[in-house]
Amino acid sequence: MNALPDRYQASDDLVLRGPSDGRALAQRLSKRYAERITGSFVVPGREGSFAPLPADLPPALAHALRSRGIDALYSHQAEAWVATQRGEQVAIVTPTASGKSLCYTLPVLSAAMKQGAKALYLFPTKALAQDQVADLLELNKAGELGVKAFTFDGDTPGDARQAIRLHGDIVVSNPDMLHQAILPHHTKWAQFFENLRYVVIDEVHTYRGVFGSHVANVIRRLKRVCAFYGVTPQFILCSATIGNPKEHAEALIEQPVTAITQSGAPSGDRHVLLWNPPVINPDLGLRASARSQTNRIARLAIKAGMKALVFAQSRTMVEVLTKYLKDVFDHDPRKPPRIRAYRGGYLPTERRAAEREMRAGSIDGIVSTSALELGVDIGSLDVVVLNGYPGSMAATWQRFGRAGRRQQPALGVLVASSDPLDQYLVRHPEFFEGAPPEHARIAADQPLILLDHIRCAAFELPFVGDEVFGPGAATPWLEVLGEEGVLHREGDRWEWIADSYPANAVSLRSVADGNFVVVDRTGGKQTIIAEVDYTAVPVTLYEGAIHMIQSVPYQVERLDWEGRKAFVTRTHVDYYTDAIDYTKLKVLDCFGSSSAGRGEAHHGEVHVVRRVAGYKKIRYYTHENIGYGPVNLPDQELHTTAVWWQLAQRELEQAFDGRQQALDGFLGAAYALHIVATVAVMAESRDLQKSVGSADGAWFVASDIAGRGQLRGMDGQPMALAPDAPFTPTVYLYDAFPGGVGLSAPLFERREDLVRMAMTLVDRCDCMAGCPACVGPILAADEAAADTPKALALRVLGLLVAL
Amino acid sequence: MPGEEIASGLFLTEAVVDWLSPPPLIDTTFARWDEAVGTARLLHFDTETTGLAGGTGTRAFMIGAAHWEQNGRFRIRQLTITTMAAETAMLRTFAGWLRDDTVLVSYNGKSYDAPLLATRYRLARLPNPLTGLGHLDLLHPVRRRWKGVWENCRLATAERQLLGVVRDDDLPGSEAPAAWLAYLRGGPATNLRRVAHHNAQDLRSLAGVLLRVSGLGACPPAAVPIA
Repeated sequence: MNALPDRYQASDDLVLRGPSDGRALAQRLSKRYAERITGSFVVPGREGSFAPLPADLPPALAHALRSRGIDALYSHQAEAWVATQRGEQVAIVTPTASGKSLCYTLPVLSAAMKQGAKALYLFPTKALAQDQVADLLELNKAGELGVKAFTFDGDTPGDARQAIRLHGDIVVSNPDMLHQAILPHHTKWAQFFENLRYVVIDEVHTYRGVFGSHVANVIRRLKRVCAFYGVTPQFILCSATIGNPKEHAEALIEQPVTAITQSGAPSGDRHVLLWNPPVINPDLGLRASARSQTNRIARLAIKAGMKALVFAQSRTMVEVLTKYLKDVFDHDPRKPPRIRAYRGGYLPTERRAAEREMRAGSIDGIVSTSALELGVDIGSLDVVVLNGYPGSMAATWQRFGRAGRRQQPALGVLVASSDPLDQYLVRHPEFFEGAPPEHARIAADQPLILLDHIRCAAFELPFVGDEVFGPGAATPWLEVLGEEGVLHREGDRWEWIADSYPANAVSLRSVADGNFVVVDRTGGKQTIIAEVDYTAVPVTLYEGAIHMIQSVPYQVERLDWEGRKAFVTRTHVDYYTDAIDYTKLKVLDCFGSSSAGRGEAHHGEVHVVRRVAGYKKIRYYTHENIGYGPVNLPDQELHTTAVWWQLAQRELEQAFDGRQQALDGFLGAAYALHIVATVAVMAESRDLQKSVGSADGAWFVASDIAGRGQLRGMDGQPMALAPDAPFTPTVYLYDAFPGGVGLSAPLFERREDLVRMAMTLVDRCDCMAGCPACVGPILAADEAAADTPKALALRVLGLLVAL
Repeated sequence: MPGEEIASGLFLTEAVVDWLSPPPLIDTTFARWDEAVGTARLLHFDTETTGLAGGTGTRAFMIGAAHWEQNGRFRIRQLTITTMAAETAMLRTFAGWLRDDTVLVSYNGKSYDAPLLATRYRLARLPNPLTGLGHLDLLHPVRRRWKGVWENCRLATAERQLLGVVRDDDLPGSEAPAAWLAYLRGGPATNLRRVAHHNAQDLRSLAGVLLRVSGLGACPPAAVPIA
C-alpha cells in the first residue's frame, strides 16, 4: 500500500500545541469544536483512603505484600477482609483498577495457608483467568507462600487436569467450565470440594440477562454438589459499577450479601465530553458519521503523545477505524505498528500478543469491541473514545474507567452515532450526568433455563423426595424429565438413566451453540484465521461479506452452516459490507391486555423470526452505497415475550387517508417507543428490539430504501394487501432472548408512561418532519409533504395515549 | 432373571468352566512390571453400563469378574442390578471379591471401567476398593503390537485373531444400555440375558488374550509403521 501524506497535518496543528494531558486535550477540543460538544463535565478525582495491613493476616502473606510494595490496604480492601473474616458473603463494587482482586486474594491465600482450604475463582473469560493466576503466582513467589494456583479451562491439557484436581489450592476457571466439565464430573474433584472454602466470582455485572440467569443456576448446582461433600463455601463477588450490586449479587447466589461500594483507591479527575457530529443536512437531521469524529479525536490524542483506546460497537467498525488510524500512523511498514485492533474472534495467541504489546507501552492506539470492557490488563491509558453509546450507562462508565493513570487527569469522549438512543443522550446531557448506572437483571427461574439446569443437576446427583431447586420443589420438572425418558423414578429418588451428557447441550452464553471458524483458502492452503460466535454469523459471515481481520479484508466465498465454517480468501476491495436484516413476529399467547387510548396494549409470548435478506457494499471514506448482494441463510427463530400496541381498523380508517400513511405512522411510533423504552427499563438496547407487523403474523413492515413502510409477506418479499383484507398493524417491543428475561412485564406496567414519553420525544424534537432522533431517518421529499412521518407517528401515538 | 437374588434387586450368577490352562505365574513384562504375578491373584473384570457419556450420570448395571481357582477351573461371577437402589449392595459385594493383593485384568478398564466405578463408589459414599490395586489393561499391549495390522484393536477383534473365538447371537455392547433399561421399565429379560452372555464371553476372552499377550515380553511394535 502506498504511504499516504498526512492530510490532516495542518488542521491538527491548530489543536496540538505543547504537551498534553486529559485536561489540556479536553480544553483544546472544547475550544476548537465548541459547537459539537453538547455536554462537558468533570468527575473529580479523590484522595486515597488507606488502612494498615490487618493484624490477623498470616505473617508470610504480610511479608509478601510488603515485598511487592504494598504496605497498606485501600479502605475497601480492609473492609472486605473484615467482612470475610466474619464469615459473610461479600460483594465488592468499585471502579476499574481499584485493586479489587486483593479483596479476595487475602482471605483466600490466608485460608489456604492456615487451613489448607481451597478456592474456586470464576471469571467470565479465559484471558482474565490467566491474568489472575499470573498475579497470584507472583505474590506466591514473593512470599514463598507455597500456594498452588492453576487455570482450568478448555485449553488445559488432559494430563494436567488430574494434578490440578488433586493439588490445586486455587482453581481459576469460568462458569462454562464449571457447568460442562467440573460439576458433571464432581466425583473426580471430591478432594477439592471437600476442602472448598471460598468461591470467588469476579465481573458479576457481566452475569445478567440470559447469561446471568444461566450462571445463577450453575451456582445452584454448585451449592448442591458442595452440600453432597458437606461444605458450605463462602462467596466473594466483585463487580464493576452497576445500579444494584447488592441485589444482583444476592440474586446470583441467593444468600444475603454484604456490599462494599466505597472505593479507597485514589484517582485523578476524569473529564468527559459528549460529542455530536456536525449537522450536514439540517432539514433531514443528517449528521456527519460518528466514525469520522472518533477517528479525528483519537488521531489528535495520539499525535499529542497520549495513549488512546477507542471502543467500537461492532467488529466491522473496529476494523474500519483501525484501518483509518493505521493509514495515518502505520504507513511505514519498516516501523513496528503503533495501532492495534483487539476484539473477540481473534485467536487466543493473537489476543495475548496484543495485550503484551499494550502493557509494554509500544502501542499508542487500540481499537476494541467490548472485549476490553472487562479487567484485561493492558496497562494505563490517557484517553478513551466511544464510537457510539455502548447501550448502557454502566458500560459507558466502565469503558471511560479504562483511562487514567494514578492521579493524572483522564479524558473520555462519547461520540454519538446517528442511532436515536445516542442522539437522545447527547441532547440530554443532564440525563447522562445524573443517570444512575443500570440495574443488572436476571431471571433465574425462567422456565426453559431452569429446566435445562434441573436436567444437568439430576445428572450430577439424583433428586430425592421433595428436594428444592431454585423457586421450589423440583418434582414437577422431574416428572417432565421422567416422561422424556432421561430420568427414572424409583421410590422417592429420581435417577439419571439416559446415555447422554446434558451439560453439553446447554450453552450458558447463547441460544445455539457452536462457534464458526474462518478458514483462509488464499493460495490453496487452508488456515484457520478467526472464530466467530454463532449469533454474529448471519450478519458477518454471509457469502460475499468482507470480513476484516486486523484491517486486512477477506471475502467470504462459502459458508458451510452445518460444518460451522466460513471459507474466505484475501481480497483487495475498497468497500466493506453491512447486513440488511428483517424481523417478523407472531403472537402465541397473551398474558394481559388493557385499553390504550383508542387502541389496546398487550403483553405475552411471541414467536420471532429474524432473517438476513441481503447486504450493502459501502465504500471506504465516502461511505457511499455502491451495491447490494443477496444473502441466503436459515432464519433465526426465537420464542420470547413482548409488549405490543394495536389500533382497530376502524380507528385507523378514520384517522388516516390510507394504509400506507398508517404504516408510516406505526414505523415512526415504534421507533420512538423503542428509544424511550430502552431508557425506561435501562435495558441494553440490543436486548430490547422493535418490530411492526400484523397482529396475526401474516405480514410485517420493513423500511424500504426511502425510509417508507413496506409490507412484506411471510417469505420476506414485498407484498400488497387485498383491499378487503383485515388490517391491524401492531407495534411490538420484544425481549431479544429466547423465553424472555423479564423486560416485557415492566414495560407493560409502564405502558401509559411509555406512550406519553414517546409522544413528548417526537413532539419536542427540533426537526421539521422527522429525524433519526425521533421517528427515524426520512427522505427530503417527505419534508414538503402535508403528512410528514413525524406527524403520522404523532397521530398513531395520539390514538394510543391514555385518555 | 437368572441367578440368585442375594440382596433386594441384586442378582448373582455363577458358572465354573474349563477354560485354558494358565501357568502358575504370569509374565508381566508386557506391562513393564518388574515381577511376574501369581495366577491366583488375577481377577478379570468387565462392567456393562448405561452408556458411554461419562460423568456422574453413567452407571454400571452389571459387573462381571472371573478368576482361575486352585483346581485350574475358571469361575465366572456376575452381579446384575434390577433396581437402582441395589447399586450400593452390588458395589459392596464386588468390593468383597477384592483382596489387597488382587491384580485386576481388563480391556480398557484403566480408562473406562475403573474410573466409572470410582465415581459410583464416591456417589455411594463408599471407599473405592480399586484404589492401589495392580491393574493389567490389555488394550495397551494389544495396541502396541497389532495396531495397523488388524482393522482395529477392539476385544472382539483380538479374540478372533488370537483365540479364534467367533460369537454366536452376540448382543453388541452398544445395545446393552437399552436392554437393561427395557427390563427396568418392565420389559422382558431376554436381551438382558444376552448381555450377561456377552459379558461372560468378554471375561473368557480377557483371560485368553492375557495368556497370549503375556508370552510376548516387552514386545517391539509390529514391523508395520505406526501412524
